Amino acid sequence: MRTAAFPFIVLAFMAACSTPDQGTGGDVSERVNVYTHRHYAADEQLFRMFTERTGINVHVIQAGDDELMARMEAEGVRSPCDVFITADAGRLGQAERRGLLQAISSDILMSRIPPQYRDPEGHWYGLTVRARVVAYNRDRVDPDAIRTYADLADPRWKGRLLVRSSENVYNQSLIAAMIAHHGTVATETWARGIVTNMARAPKGGDTDQLLAVGEGIGDLAIVNSYYVGKVLAGNDPQHAKVRASIGVVFPTMDGTGTHVNISGGGVARHAPNRDAAVTLLEFLCSPDAQQTFSEANMEYPVLEGIPVATTLDDLGSFVPDTLGLEALERLNSAAVKLSDAVGWK
Amino acid sequence: MRSFAAHIPRGPFLAISALALLLAAPLIVVLTAPLHAPAPEWEHVQRALLPHHLRETILLLFGVLSIALVIAIPSAWLVAVHDFPLRGFFRWALVIPLALPTYISAFTYAALLGPTGSFSNSLAASIGIRPDIMNLPGLSMVLALVLFPYIYLPARAAFSRGMATQLDAARMLGAGAQRRLVRVAMPLARPAIAGGALLLAMETLNDFGAVKYFGIRTLTTGIFRSWGGLYDMGSALRLSMVLLGLIALLLWVERRSRRGVRQTTDQAPMKPIPLKGAHAWLATAWCLLVVACAAGLPLGKIISDVVLHSDGTVPGGVLKAFLNTLLVAGLAASFTLAIAVLFAFRERYARRSDLVIRLANMGYAIPGAVIAIGVMALAGFLDRQHIMGTALIGSLGMLTYAFSVRFLAVGTQPLYGNMRQQSPYLDEAARMLGASPWRAFSRITLPLLKPAIGAAAMLVAIDVIKELPLTLILRPFDLHTLSTMTYELASIEQLRDSSWPALLIVICGLFPVLLLERLLARQSR
Repeated sequence: MRTAAFPFIVLAFMAACSTPDQGTGGDVSERVNVYTHRHYAADEQLFRMFTERTGINVHVIQAGDDELMARMEAEGVRSPCDVFITADAGRLGQAERRGLLQAISSDILMSRIPPQYRDPEGHWYGLTVRARVVAYNRDRVDPDAIRTYADLADPRWKGRLLVRSSENVYNQSLIAAMIAHHGTVATETWARGIVTNMARAPKGGDTDQLLAVGEGIGDLAIVNSYYVGKVLAGNDPQHAKVRASIGVVFPTMDGTGTHVNISGGGVARHAPNRDAAVTLLEFLCSPDAQQTFSEANMEYPVLEGIPVATTLDDLGSFVPDTLGLEALERLNSAAVKLSDAVGWK
Repeated sequence: MRSFAAHIPRGPFLAISALALLLAAPLIVVLTAPLHAPAPEWEHVQRALLPHHLRETILLLFGVLSIALVIAIPSAWLVAVHDFPLRGFFRWALVIPLALPTYISAFTYAALLGPTGSFSNSLAASIGIRPDIMNLPGLSMVLALVLFPYIYLPARAAFSRGMATQLDAARMLGAGAQRRLVRVAMPLARPAIAGGALLLAMETLNDFGAVKYFGIRTLTTGIFRSWGGLYDMGSALRLSMVLLGLIALLLWVERRSRRGVRQTTDQAPMKPIPLKGAHAWLATAWCLLVVACAAGLPLGKIISDVVLHSDGTVPGGVLKAFLNTLLVAGLAASFTLAIAVLFAFRERYARRSDLVIRLANMGYAIPGAVIAIGVMALAGFLDRQHIMGTALIGSLGMLTYAFSVRFLAVGTQPLYGNMRQQSPYLDEAARMLGASPWRAFSRITLPLLKPAIGAAAMLVAIDVIKELPLTLILRPFDLHTLSTMTYELASIEQLRDSSWPALLIVICGLFPVLLLERLLARQSR
């Protein structure tokens, strides 16, 4: 390396340090800045639709939700973030508690989104719903034997149950909901039963659990409805056995309903484009957008009266658990500790 | 050399130390946080989490290191000192795995040999045995297959240069090949191998994607479990401290391994000894097996996914992501190497090595997300004071800086290693003739370092191309690189769709890998 290269490297670095305007200053066209944990083609499609309809450009950073919250905290008052979107109610509650979101009152949001899927003060709003369901091998399992999540701990499933690691947030929020309904002691006994029933040590993602049912490694799997929808609606030859062999049940929490988690968003506390942010959230719960979430991404809409994707519809309907979603945030850490205690990896 | 140190003006060294402090700052921020940050769940983490996670970390480290040594040393030895069919091809083909990000490799091997992988399924159907590599030994194997070039490269360089005389002597005294390797070559190459093993160990420790997917509990997954699951950043940072302790231990072992090793000034290249008959074919078979498992299998799977499952069109945005990847990797490699050269200068002339520089070098072992926290804490502080007109967080410059914090060790290690092999008399002579330290360094040491600088720059570029967590969180709006694209597709379990960007990452990484190979080949000629 020539020593003459040093000044050039320093100059290049300085140039790279100056960011293009992030919408905090005078903009030519309107924009909205989104920090999102969701990384789906459906979302990109919706953002494009939004720009076409409103002329507001959507700028996105996709990353993990914990990291995004850390970034918003570090940026503080200078954060360019307008809308924070994540796929876990617990994280939305956390963002609110850490003062990263502002309360929004919008008649459109209030009327479209049922109260159970939004923060009463308007810090965050649910956009889609996912259910924690059980996929089973139709030849080997009688679905009537799985009416509740508690049934999954029954000794009859010993060595037959598949579920991924408790590292996964949807397992954490399922356990948190169990704690909310049945208390810590009963949930711990239940979780021990789950661990005893496991067909193998937890590994892989939800799709891998479905594949394992297809291959007969286990007979039933706790999975997210959205992965079931993707596998059933897809045409991957690797998934053919799964499509041919599984059925799906919606277990309930002792009669109150099926455990659900939401994807949702809120307006950032220091949003430089607050109005555009509200407009974007309103758009995302409009009938068109809600239908796209369902059709293109196999999620359940929050807006009532929207037809769900045929694949989801074929699975049957379910009654969601009435548990307030704020419980998922309150009990998440208890859920993780409990799974550590019972050895649910 | 030391005697000159006293006459050297301290100014430049102080400036370099200040630069080191700048690079160590994010680490200092996160690593001192446990001293004052609350850690409400620490009692639980210590009791229920740490024992398992520490145990599996150590087992994994041990597994990966031993398998990688078993793969790398014989391969390096064969290619460096012998001649056999296809040797020229294996020389560089053995470096290819370096272009594969570990999480892509892990997904790919699992798609073939995991419990429901395609090989496993067909074996189960035909002979009733279902292989499963998604466990600790399997992960050790997978990581070793991807990371062994970190040992293969320095070992090969050491074997092929600087020990020809000794090896010839041993041969004339009647020592067989095995004895020459174990008694002569290995002890001489020990520092080079230890340096490579250190990089490999650090890569293993900071891995998140592959480890999580395989369901293994390491300190790194423990950090994320505490942070995201227990909502306890304090405990997460304490776990980072434990991780750092482990690295410090490894660094100490590596430094000790250099003790008592004499510098060789003998730069005579090895004249390869031809292998004959069965031996030659055995050598070819071994290298073929390694290349087939480490590069052929995962690449074959990715390529077949691209060919079989895509409609022939490159998905939109991939080309732009490709260019962004090149831009980011180029910026990071040049910035990191500029710093590494200054640190090498200080290492050469300062009285003692700088603790801050050593600390700055540890960034390589820390999970990217934790480094990102440190970088954002610092940059966020400056941003909130409105010191700069524009925000630092979300600028390419800050991303480049973060890469340097993370990959500094990759830039400095090859330079240090190379300088240790250089004869100290050369620049001493220049100094004695009245040249300033910088002049002696830039006119004598630096030209000799050139190949090492090139090699280090390539290594940094490869790492940046594969890097994920820092890129994800620190990137500017709407910036996609190949690795962020692959990850976004892979994490929604759409592995087939991610095959295009995955293939491009490998191709993108192959450029620097092959350039690196050429640089090293020229060096050993």
